[in-house]
Amino acid sequence: MTSHIDSMKNGFLAIPFKLNPSNKVKSGLKRPGDEETQTIARPPAHYMFMKKHQSKSELEQNCLFLVNLPLLTHLENLKKGLAQIFEQSGSVAHISQLLYHDEFGLNDVDLSSLTSDLMSTDSPEEKRFTPRNTALLQFVDSASLENAWSSLRKYSQLSEPSKLANWTFESPSMTTFVNFYKPLDSEYLKEDIYSHMALFEQREQQAQEEVQSSIVDEDGFTLVVGKNTKNLNSIRKKILNKNPLLKHEKVVKPPTMVDKKAKQDFYRFQIREKKKQEISELLKKFKQDQEKIKEMKSKKKFNPYG
Amino acid sequence: MAPLKRSASESTYSDTSLPSQGGPLLKKTLVEDITAGTQVPRSTGPGSERDNGATKGESDDEDEGGTENEASDDEEQEKRNTGGPAISAQDVQVARATAELFKSNIFKLQIDELLQQIKIKDSHILRVEKFLHKLYDTIQKVPEWEPTALDDVESYFKGKIVAVPFADPKPAPTVQYKFGYKVPDVSLIGSFALKCATYDPKGTSIDVLLTMPSELFDKKDFLNFRCIHKRSVYLAYFTHQLTLLFDEEHLSDFLQISYHYFNDDPLCPVLRIQCKPGGSSEYNFYKANFSINIIVGFPHGFFDVKKLLPNKNCIRVQEDKDTMTPLYNFSVLSSSTHEHYLKFLYKTKKQTEAFKDACMLGRLWLTQRGFSSKSSHSGGLGGFGSFEFAVLMSALLCGGGVNGNKILLHGFSSYQLFKGIMKYLATMDLCSDGHLQFYSDLNPSSNLPTSRYLAEGFQTPTIFDKTTKVNILTKMSVTSYRTLQLYARETFALLSDLTKDQFSSIFLINLDKYQEVKYDMTFDLELPTQSVIVEKFGPTEKIKFVSLENFVVNKITNVATIALGERIKSLQVNISNHQNSFSVTKRRPNNTSDVSNIRIHVLINPNESEKLVTKGPLNNDENNSEAISFRTFWGKKSSLRRFKDGSITNSCVWTTSASEPVVSQILSYIFKLHLAENAKLSNQTSKQFQDLLPLPNLPASSSMSILNLGSFFNVRKSFDILSGHLFKLDLPLSIKSVLPIGPAFRYTTTCQPVPFAYSNPDFLQDVILEFESSPKWPDEITSLEKAKTAFLLKVQERLESTNSEYKTFFARDESIPYNLEVVTLNILTPDGYGFKIRVLTERDEVLYLRAISNARHEVKPELEKVFLKFTAKYLASARHTRTFENLAHSFPLFPPVVRLFKKWLDSHLLLSHMSEELVELIAIKPFVESAPYFVPGSLENGFLKIIKYLSQWNWKEDPLILDLVRPEELDLGTEIGSANGIDLEAKVGDGVRDNLSVSQMKAIQSNFTTLRKVDPQGLNIQFFVASRNDPSGILYSSGIPLPIATRLTALAKVAYNLIQNHGLNKQTVDLLFTPAFKDYDFVVKVEMPTSLKLSSGVLEAGGFKNLEQQQTAFPKNLSQMSEKMDPSFQLVKYLNMKYKNSIVFSSHRYPGVNGGEKGDQNVITGLIRPTFKSPLKFRANMDANVLPVSGEQVILNKEAIFNEIAAFGNELITGFEFN
Repeated sequence: MTSHIDSMKNGFLAIPFKLNPSNKVKSGLKRPGDEETQTIARPPAHYMFMKKHQSKSELEQNCLFLVNLPLLTHLENLKKGLAQIFEQSGSVAHISQLLYHDEFGLNDVDLSSLTSDLMSTDSPEEKRFTPRNTALLQFVDSASLENAWSSLRKYSQLSEPSKLANWTFESPSMTTFVNFYKPLDSEYLKEDIYSHMALFEQREQQAQEEVQSSIVDEDGFTLVVGKNTKNLNSIRKKILNKNPLLKHEKVVKPPTMVDKKAKQDFYRFQIREKKKQEISELLKKFKQDQEKIKEMKSKKKFNPYG
Repeated sequence: MAPLKRSASESTYSDTSLPSQGGPLLKKTLVEDITAGTQVPRSTGPGSERDNGATKGESDDEDEGGTENEASDDEEQEKRNTGGPAISAQDVQVARATAELFKSNIFKLQIDELLQQIKIKDSHILRVEKFLHKLYDTIQKVPEWEPTALDDVESYFKGKIVAVPFADPKPAPTVQYKFGYKVPDVSLIGSFALKCATYDPKGTSIDVLLTMPSELFDKKDFLNFRCIHKRSVYLAYFTHQLTLLFDEEHLSDFLQISYHYFNDDPLCPVLRIQCKPGGSSEYNFYKANFSINIIVGFPHGFFDVKKLLPNKNCIRVQEDKDTMTPLYNFSVLSSSTHEHYLKFLYKTKKQTEAFKDACMLGRLWLTQRGFSSKSSHSGGLGGFGSFEFAVLMSALLCGGGVNGNKILLHGFSSYQLFKGIMKYLATMDLCSDGHLQFYSDLNPSSNLPTSRYLAEGFQTPTIFDKTTKVNILTKMSVTSYRTLQLYARETFALLSDLTKDQFSSIFLINLDKYQEVKYDMTFDLELPTQSVIVEKFGPTEKIKFVSLENFVVNKITNVATIALGERIKSLQVNISNHQNSFSVTKRRPNNTSDVSNIRIHVLINPNESEKLVTKGPLNNDENNSEAISFRTFWGKKSSLRRFKDGSITNSCVWTTSASEPVVSQILSYIFKLHLAENAKLSNQTSKQFQDLLPLPNLPASSSMSILNLGSFFNVRKSFDILSGHLFKLDLPLSIKSVLPIGPAFRYTTTCQPVPFAYSNPDFLQDVILEFESSPKWPDEITSLEKAKTAFLLKVQERLESTNSEYKTFFARDESIPYNLEVVTLNILTPDGYGFKIRVLTERDEVLYLRAISNARHEVKPELEKVFLKFTAKYLASARHTRTFENLAHSFPLFPPVVRLFKKWLDSHLLLSHMSEELVELIAIKPFVESAPYFVPGSLENGFLKIIKYLSQWNWKEDPLILDLVRPEELDLGTEIGSANGIDLEAKVGDGVRDNLSVSQMKAIQSNFTTLRKVDPQGLNIQFFVASRNDPSGILYSSGIPLPIATRLTALAKVAYNLIQNHGLNKQTVDLLFTPAFKDYDFVVKVEMPTSLKLSSGVLEAGGFKNLEQQQTAFPKNLSQMSEKMDPSFQLVKYLNMKYKNSIVFSSHRYPGVNGGEKGDQNVITGLIRPTFKSPLKFRANMDANVLPVSGEQVILNKEAIFNEIAAFGNELITGFEFN
């Protein structure tokens, strides 16, 4: 990297954080004859990209849009990292929360809302998403946001590495990994299921009542609903797509009664037509085969000694 | 010399013009044909209407469009002529005829194309003919040599370069007969003369026959090598004179001459002429790659053929006049019939339009499988080359059935002729139960009896020519014949296959190229020079077997065949130092008596090979001759055993072993007993491969055959008991089914199941539980999963109250992406196995499908993948498991082979990216679709065939379509009557078999075409693997990262090349399983706190059996189990989730197997996706850890990523390597 880059053309500030280099990485990078000059000159840094977030949504006011969050980022370590920057310029900015951060992409797809709206909380958060590896950082008020933004801008123009803010990763312990194998706590599981099912049943009940009470649409028609219909899922959320496995399958129409009864070889012209057709089919296939052979020949598929 | 200046085209194409216009060479040979008037070209006019009424059925069902309407042939004829002007009548005729006469149009076109390819170039023929004429003229110049006594002969050659190639034994000094040279009758014979020769990159040979004039012989000269010796001197004199003449003509600059045993027959040396490169002589035919054999023959009909019948004695040792000398007799007799057979074949060729093409096809088919006209008595496959093929065809054109009925008709197409011969070879036994006899008479007017099949076997392959009294198959040993039969059967089945195009399997693949792939096992036998067997080679053996080589090969073959019996399908013995070419300065090759190094190739019958007992005859009567011979054959291994049915039988008992096949044990024992005390038999390859399979930590596992499925049966038993209990539980909804779907139920887990070995990633075996149907399942996915869990909680509660010996716990399951609510009930059984139970309801599928339709457009593909995952796990898995369980029973070697293949994949860090099902489907390929090879009969062979397939699979263009059915028992109609008709159809299928039908095949093909239309380079889905279970072909192969798929192909290529170039040995086999870390961008070394080897149920490789350390119980507190689980797996999983878009991480899935000596090591490798290898434009949604290089461009911030990884796996990671 030769010149210092403080911001990207599309308005993102590039905010570097100095990393505490791991010895294991260092020793791996070191090659015989390779002096340590390089690593001393410039410590590794993580770059976050930030921009003021503009949204009409009430809930997303006073937000910074963050791109490329470091490993295992959460509100606390983010606050800690940014506090160093704010301190440098002596400004005060109060952070309230980190929104839509989904580091491992677990919630990229919300199956629940795609299958039914029964369980949706109607909160916009549920439908809102940001691209992967991005998040929104909300400040308590616009003043905080402005303060933060100006100190970030100042910080981004710094070119001495010594003044960079530090970022410390949090390392999960061995137990964290091993714990993935631990059995679920039965009592917790029971409790969770009980409460969930209770909520679900209540919602379902509600939905059924709504459905059963006659729904009148804009044109004044009443929707007729069977008495066992619990909700409008099946009506509203239709399965438009076919099974993707059958996407390519051709549908063969079963012959109708008329087809079955009609004689195909009654008139002389029918027989003649059929013959003609057969011959042309035969010829077509012959030509196709010839083409295929040509293609195979061009690929040298006929060399028995290859 | 005018006739010599023929154009090449004339000589190759215009057969009819040949006898009248041909040069002197050809004229001599063929002039009699004209006088005999045999060349009546078969008329192909409409009147003859291709006398193949019987083959009408031949027109293939395959051609939908071309389905014949037989009823109105004439009418069609009419229509064709009056039909639309666009279609030329000729086109239609060609199309119709090929559909009828060939398997299908495409097959015929392929044959045409192939014949073009293997044709000898006209320019080459022209070139070599020039030399042949020159040679003819030169031969005429050789001066005659008056009859000379042996002494004078010896003194004549003293001091000369050329030696006399006397056969063993040399003529005694006392012999009275004289030797001499008189101008021979010269003619061109063999396939070159018949114009049936094919191009062969190794060189094509041209046979020139010099027939010795009969004045040189006495009537009794066929006795005691007399004629043989006379010929040797004749040849030596001729050679000497020829070299002088060549010198004179300045031809010796580029000509090389050597002696050569014709067809490996030590009684028949011939002179071979080859060319060196260089020089500008017009006679140098080096580029045409020919070699010319000058064969010296005896005059036809001079010796009394009756005295040379195979059962006569023609070499008198003292007073012995009874020992049969079939090989000697054949050698003498066949030396006098070369020209006769040329005429016979020429006659047939004139009568049969497609004879030449069929000969060429047959020749190619034979060479691809390693067959030739060479004698198979001195080892190898042989005794059946293009000559024998052509003679058999001629015989079958004159009959060949039981009643002398015709097997082939003159009007047949080349395809029909070829198929007919394959069928005949496949179905008619010419060795033990019967033989074929025919008349090679050249006179057409005489009303000859036709050839016929006689149900009398001579225990040697026999096609007997009544005219010349020659058994055409004399050069063929019984084992060689059996092997030919095996291949013919296979090919006949392929020819009858209507669904797949088997053309390349039949003709294009050279099986002989790699013996490791062709044969299941290879043994090296070292015989000490002074062995029993060499001593046994006495005078009687000498005249019977002619050479020591023949004798030794015969002995080994017999011993091995008896000892192995049903355990093998075929056997081939080769003498390593076998030579049949030698310098003209030598009497014979240097090492004719060196039989110390022998190689034995075996095709295994896996259904029998590992059986513990070799059963002999019943012990009814102590002195029953069979019993006695059994006991003498087996020596002290033979013992009496009582079997379950009460019978007492002579038998031998063997022990199985995890590292050595029973076959190699038997051979080592029996060779020591019958060949030599210190005979050394080695088969390192099998051992090396078998030792690669992870050895389970079970009692006596080192003596368990690799085919033993006992450990898997125990899991199954445990499951059956558990499912019995589950069905009895009192639940709100009763259980409809409990389906086993884990890989242990189909015997394919990398490690064998070992009780309480819960570190093994496959320890918990998947099971699907279905309740009776209910409309009440929630119509929302989270709640549905919760409801399922509620039911599982009920199951757990009830099970604990009724069967408290089971331990249970719940765990989250991640097999369906984005469905975070799947919970499984894990049950640990008292006998130490574990099952993971998940619930399937009829609602699931609907919900996943609904999710696809409701999703935003850009996430739809992702949801389709989710749906595929769900289908694979929940819906298709039971069928897959059932299919493979059945296949494993039909192919006993499949389970060990697939386990080794999985280990290979895991050692190269690929296994974690592929689903088990996909791996199994790829691994079954060489089993269900073995052609042109046979179903693998050994671990190494199966593995190599998978690697071979992968290295050659061009997945961009070719789908893998598998017919997952048990091996085919083709009904060949073994009753003799089956060869009666001219019916070429195989009676395929007993109705039970469920092969893929043509329409299913077409549907799958079209699925593939559509898939590739969208993604021609295979960037999304590489491996299209379809079967009846999954016609879509993408169920198990979606979601494999492209670099991983290409890496698999590349690795297989490297591996296969390695084996091709360096063979199989300790180094190469080890190298095969060593991962290449240099190919990755970076490597992270990982060490786990605990060893996972023993707790995965894997024994130390050194065979160090410490059974005490085996876990014998689950921990009291089940959460302690997590301490012996693999943390690196979770680390890699999260790394892949975090860096999904920019880096692909791989690691060993089985650290217990591939994790170093203790099983506590692992590596994580990173491949940076190509798009991130160079700077790219910054975008907010680029999802990668980058740093800016300019206002617009960014690059991957590798250093930051490495530090992130180091921090993430802080306690696990021990080091980094960067490439």
